[in-house]
Amino acid sequence: MSARPPTPAWKRRLTFTRLGRWYTGLTFCIGLAAINTGNNLLFLVLGLLLASIVVSGILSEQSLRMVRVERRLPSGATAGQPALVGLMARNEKPHAPSFSLELREKGGDVAGRGFLVLLPAGRAAEVAYQFVPSRRGVHRFDQLEVATRAPFGLFEKSRRHDALAELIVFPRRVEPPPLQSRQLAREGERPEDRAGQGQEVHSLRDHRHGEDARTIHWKSSARHGRLIGVDREQERRRRVCVVIDNRVLHGPALEAAVEKAAALVERAMDSGAEVGIAACGERLSPASGEAHLHAALTMLALLQPAPRAPAPEPDPQASLLEVA
Amino acid sequence: MSAPRFFAGRGITLLQAQRWAGSLTALFAYLACAVSGELGPALVALFPVALLGAHFFGERAYGKMEWAWTLFLAGALVVLGAEVAATRLDVVLGVARFTLLLCVHRVWHRRTQRDELLFLLLCLLLLCAGAALSAELLFGFSFLAFAVAGTWALALTHLRFEIEAGRGPQGSAALLQSRRIATPSLLGALAALAMMGLMGSAVIFLTFPRVNIGLLRRPSRGTPTAGLGDRVDLSRHGTIADDPRVVLRVRLEPPPHPGLSNLGTHWRARALEVWTGQGWAAAGGAPLPVTRPPPRPKLGGRGGPPQSATIDAVAGFLEGVLVTPEGWPLRVEFHRQLSARGAPQRLLANAAGDLFYSPVEIGDLSYQVWSERNDLGVSLLRGRGQEYPASVDIDLEVPADLDPRVRELSRRLTAGKDPADAADAIESYLSSNLKYTRDLPGEQADPIAHFLFERRMGHCELFSSAMVILLRAAGIPARNVTGYYGGVHTDAGYYAVRAGDAHSWVEVFIPGAGFVPFDPTPAGERGSQQESLWARTVLFWDTIQERWRAFVVDYDLVAQAQLVKQVGAMLSEAGRRLSGKGGSAPQLRIALRALGLLLLAALLVLVIRRAALSRPGVRRAFLRPDQKRAIQLWREARARLHQAGLEIHPGTTPTEAARNVPATGQLVSAYLAARWGSARLPPEKARYLLSTLNRALEAKPQTRA
Repeated sequence: MSARPPTPAWKRRLTFTRLGRWYTGLTFCIGLAAINTGNNLLFLVLGLLLASIVVSGILSEQSLRMVRVERRLPSGATAGQPALVGLMARNEKPHAPSFSLELREKGGDVAGRGFLVLLPAGRAAEVAYQFVPSRRGVHRFDQLEVATRAPFGLFEKSRRHDALAELIVFPRRVEPPPLQSRQLAREGERPEDRAGQGQEVHSLRDHRHGEDARTIHWKSSARHGRLIGVDREQERRRRVCVVIDNRVLHGPALEAAVEKAAALVERAMDSGAEVGIAACGERLSPASGEAHLHAALTMLALLQPAPRAPAPEPDPQASLLEVA
Repeated sequence: MSAPRFFAGRGITLLQAQRWAGSLTALFAYLACAVSGELGPALVALFPVALLGAHFFGERAYGKMEWAWTLFLAGALVVLGAEVAATRLDVVLGVARFTLLLCVHRVWHRRTQRDELLFLLLCLLLLCAGAALSAELLFGFSFLAFAVAGTWALALTHLRFEIEAGRGPQGSAALLQSRRIATPSLLGALAALAMMGLMGSAVIFLTFPRVNIGLLRRPSRGTPTAGLGDRVDLSRHGTIADDPRVVLRVRLEPPPHPGLSNLGTHWRARALEVWTGQGWAAAGGAPLPVTRPPPRPKLGGRGGPPQSATIDAVAGFLEGVLVTPEGWPLRVEFHRQLSARGAPQRLLANAAGDLFYSPVEIGDLSYQVWSERNDLGVSLLRGRGQEYPASVDIDLEVPADLDPRVRELSRRLTAGKDPADAADAIESYLSSNLKYTRDLPGEQADPIAHFLFERRMGHCELFSSAMVILLRAAGIPARNVTGYYGGVHTDAGYYAVRAGDAHSWVEVFIPGAGFVPFDPTPAGERGSQQESLWARTVLFWDTIQERWRAFVVDYDLVAQAQLVKQVGAMLSEAGRRLSGKGGSAPQLRIALRALGLLLLAALLVLVIRRAALSRPGVRRAFLRPDQKRAIQLWREARARLHQAGLEIHPGTTPTEAARNVPATGQLVSAYLAARWGSARLPPEKARYLLSTLNRALEAKPQTRA
């Protein structure tokens, strides 16, 4: 987002509503009639109309004053699926409520709005709006605008708050493609040279007092005449690397590839594998867990065509799932 | 703003409140128009019936029989337009009537936002029509009520349709039917808003410069209810009503003695010189324009200084006749020089010396009369002979069939006496020997003889008529004069002459002195005896009306200039006192300085408080701890990157930074999740992420190609 001077707190926007234009026109006509005829009762009516405009301006300012707004973004969003964005408004005035507030997104990539009938003094209220991202990637949010047409709907007064934010929208959910036999190459367990909770014997040692009796290797104990314990080998998880060559992919082809890659990542992680991603010029080491899934989907969400980038460098120890 | 507990389940829904407010607005706009009395009985009756009917059946009738409504309105437009074109109907009145009919139509068609706003617009136009048609005090009350009801209607209409637009038809249904929105506190707050609007209206009313072009002024017309006619009929039946309606509002200069509650003054209108057999009629001859009243004869004796009377004559009572106070009128000046149509006010006089004004189209008339009071005693009138000019021959005419008893009585009272003494004798005889009563005698063959010899009681017209006939029978010119007698002091500072003060007395021609007034009605019976509660209420109402007229209806450029002068005088007086001139107290200056300092201190506190609240830290007071930690984490990461020689441009987002510096990827993910999402960021995780970044930066360069 480009740097922009902060919006001053005092700045307001005032626009006529349709009713306001008619009202002002009528006031003008009555003023003309009053001046022309010298009828003091028409001056009374004119005074009432003008005073109502002034009072309307004062009250609308009172409604907007000391109202803070903030946006609550979801932790994640997926293209094509509805995401809920919360708009929270807080009235910091000690006594006066605010009426008829409309909270709107201004600028940015997302349009949304919410409406509050009444915001009592010293209280906060939240409204939410739903939007369905049509694409993956970064969705920027710029300003939040608070507007009111209270009390009479003659004018709309609004105030903008700087609320820069961005939301990463993950790739659209699709069915993962069936695995090819070539892609299953280099599957299988590999020894992990460290002790753990596996089945294979890693090393023998003297049994320690207090250890679980099930760790005693009875054969060796009988041979040596003392209790011998066994350390098992750590079972290694299956490693998978999703490879995507974004040097040649762009446009709908890239989108389709990214969606497939995301589906493959999710499926592999669901099956308990450690998943990595190899793209042109960037790589995500295999790992597992919720945070890693988030990182993987984020990487895929932000993936762009890279025609000049070097070829993908997949993890040599992982099973490769190439996305074409 | 929650409703009080006792209100739960009762009270009014938002939808009901909005509809009722609209109906009330229409009702008060209609009243503002109806008080003018010019709408006609049909329309006056139609609107409330339509309003009531729409309340019960409007929803069901919505959208039905539109052709009938269109036909009705089109027909009304044609009829009213034709009447206006034929100048049988004033254009403003025509517009007002058509607006009322449009309002009737709209009252039965209120559903959408457009319907409601059109309805309110028509109500406002109706109010403006009322302002153009009437200057009555009742308009003022209707205006006040309209201001409050209109504020409710506009605010609740806006709220209703904002909710419908913001939440859709299904989402808004619950709110519209809620009884917790249109609470007494909300309606009270809106009424307070209306009061603010009214105060603003008063300020604008007082300060808006009055520049009258007068192209479209409409003459206001009072409804004649009683008048100073050109004849008197002595053969009426019934009782004279004590009518408390105010006819004249009088301010005298020099003012009378403070505490004088009743002026006891004759207010002369017309002289009636021709005896009809059953009463009096004015002599023929149209009045002619004059620049000033006829000059008074030179009299001996000591004359008093001229006295001026500023008279506001209520519309409908004078009908062209100028009423003047006792004494000889020297000069007449009209306060509103131009009539409503722009024609200048003209003074006219007839041969009998009656004064008139023209044109008669304006409602109330305001004018000032300078007159010379010269209390001519009988001694001053005596000895002026009996040479009468031909112009008073009409005042010597005696009925041919005059009752002999009347002649005999006249002879007995006037034989050998000077005309002035004769008039005095007849006056004394009548006031002492006959009784006053408000009961009318009914039809009599000879009302004078019946009064003098049979009934021996009567009202003021009989007393004055008898005196005129008795004087004429003695060969002394005399005539009957009608007008008013009295003037009761009011709280507003003027003297009110009421319709029940109508009176009749006599003018006797004395050579060299002109027509001199005599009043044979017993002194205590002249004028009305208005002491009832109703009379006092009417008088009180009149004082309010007079103030309404003075401060609102007649507020003009002169009054504005006077107000500015008064304000200026107050300010200069305050300045003079503050500067120490004129013996002002120095304590006042000290007090004002202290007040000024207090105000300055209060302003300073306000400014500091505002500045404190607008600080970024305070603005983020409601951030969660995880969010604050995320912000701090990113700040520290940027600092660490800066130390490593990797500058992050202020406009670069964390995600973009992560793409350029892959080592920050994990940290940025955690930051985004905590800052904008609902993920947690414990302190130890933040420390871990920062230390991981440090290790990565120390290990190898991180910039992406």
